[in-house]
Amino acid sequence: MSVTFDILLLLFLITTALAVARAKDLLAAAIIFSSYSLVMCLLWQHRGAPDVAMTEAAVGAGITTVLFLVAIARTTRREK
Amino acid sequence: MISTADIRDATTVVLAAFGALFFLVGTIGLLRLPDFYARTHAATKCDTVGAGSLLIALAVFNGLDASTGKIIALAGLVLLSSPTTGHALARAAHRTGLAPWHAEKGRTP
Amino acid sequence: MKKAFVAALLIITAIPLLIGVAALPPHGETTAPVHTHISARYLMRGAEEAGADNIVTGVLLNYRGLDTAGEVTVIFTALVAGLAVLITRRKEPGAKADSAARGDVPAPPPVSPVVSFVVQLLAPFIALFAVYVILNGHVTPGGGFQGGAILGALFIALTIVLGEGRTRSLMPRLALPWMQGAALISFVVVGVLGAGLTGYFLGFPAEASLHLVRELMMLVLEAGIGLGGAAIFATLFLQMEAE
Repeated sequence: MSVTFDILLLLFLITTALAVARAKDLLAAAIIFSSYSLVMCLLWQHRGAPDVAMTEAAVGAGITTVLFLVAIARTTRREK
Repeated sequence: MISTADIRDATTVVLAAFGALFFLVGTIGLLRLPDFYARTHAATKCDTVGAGSLLIALAVFNGLDASTGKIIALAGLVLLSSPTTGHALARAAHRTGLAPWHAEKGRTP
Repeated sequence: MKKAFVAALLIITAIPLLIGVAALPPHGETTAPVHTHISARYLMRGAEEAGADNIVTGVLLNYRGLDTAGEVTVIFTALVAGLAVLITRRKEPGAKADSAARGDVPAPPPVSPVVSFVVQLLAPFIALFAVYVILNGHVTPGGGFQGGAILGALFIALTIVLGEGRTRSLMPRLALPWMQGAALISFVVVGVLGAGLTGYFLGFPAEASLHLVRELMMLVLEAGIGLGGAAIFATLFLQMEAE
């Protein structure tokens, strides 16, 4: 059960990573990247690293996303 | 005889099933509803009622101790933050001029 | 000329790094020190030796304190580099005209009263949680980095809701450089204190009687990392907003 959960999370993680790389809309890429961080956070927690999970949730899903959004708002939304 | 543990288990099952049902309905809505506003509405239901009632189910199941306090606090946070998120999303969409879907006109561009 | 200089600089930086990597034991080798005794030592004696029940904090701040000091330096350097890029960009002529031309990102709508109310309602609890994560980091998962990120996120949320004018007072101009460098400063202070107590920079006294001193040193490090991290995130956000 536990391993199945891990595998599911990993598959989802790979999917989000590919989606981020393929997205032409940078706003969408930033949002998908925050969901990537969230899945990564679940994985850290599930693999027994709560410290890293907290960092991932606060930095990866929280602040990085905000900084990305500000950067996109100040530049352009489309990949050139 | 019905013991306290039985009542607790039954309450847990009912609340968890209610939460799971809302998640199911919310997810179907997210996939099937026609426009952004309706989908946000479905997703917000999912987060608020679904996660809220699952958390309360966990609190009931856990009994009275420090963890239950944390779960209740978490449920309170979810009940506050997720309607706010839904409101902010819908408001931002409305402010940027996204027109809602209309049955007669079909999907708006 | 400039390119050649950059290439030379990169190569000069890379050589010692590569030599260092080559000197490490091969990945996965069973006779590497980490597998023979280091991990076991951390797990067996970490709690009493390092002064932290949370073994991760013990390793981060005590056993591997120098690495963390380096990490903190990297983060501070990243802030400096980010500011360097952002501030020169801002002075470019014609930047204002350019901002009107890019039409695909609409101007943000005014802040909703609902969002504003909820953020202000939750702010004290978030601040309390951040301080708890920072100060309790040596018992439960968490610590300076995590709590600092939460504090930084809280500052960003408040800035979005209340406007820059009101949150600026949280970071007074005079104290700002000290806050941005808080992590580095705390490492230097604790490092020198450790040097006085044990003879090694960032050395932690190992005697059982000095348990409180060890905990206090860790607390200063955690608080410094937390404050520094939060100030760095907040500064980056404000600078990007100001552009």
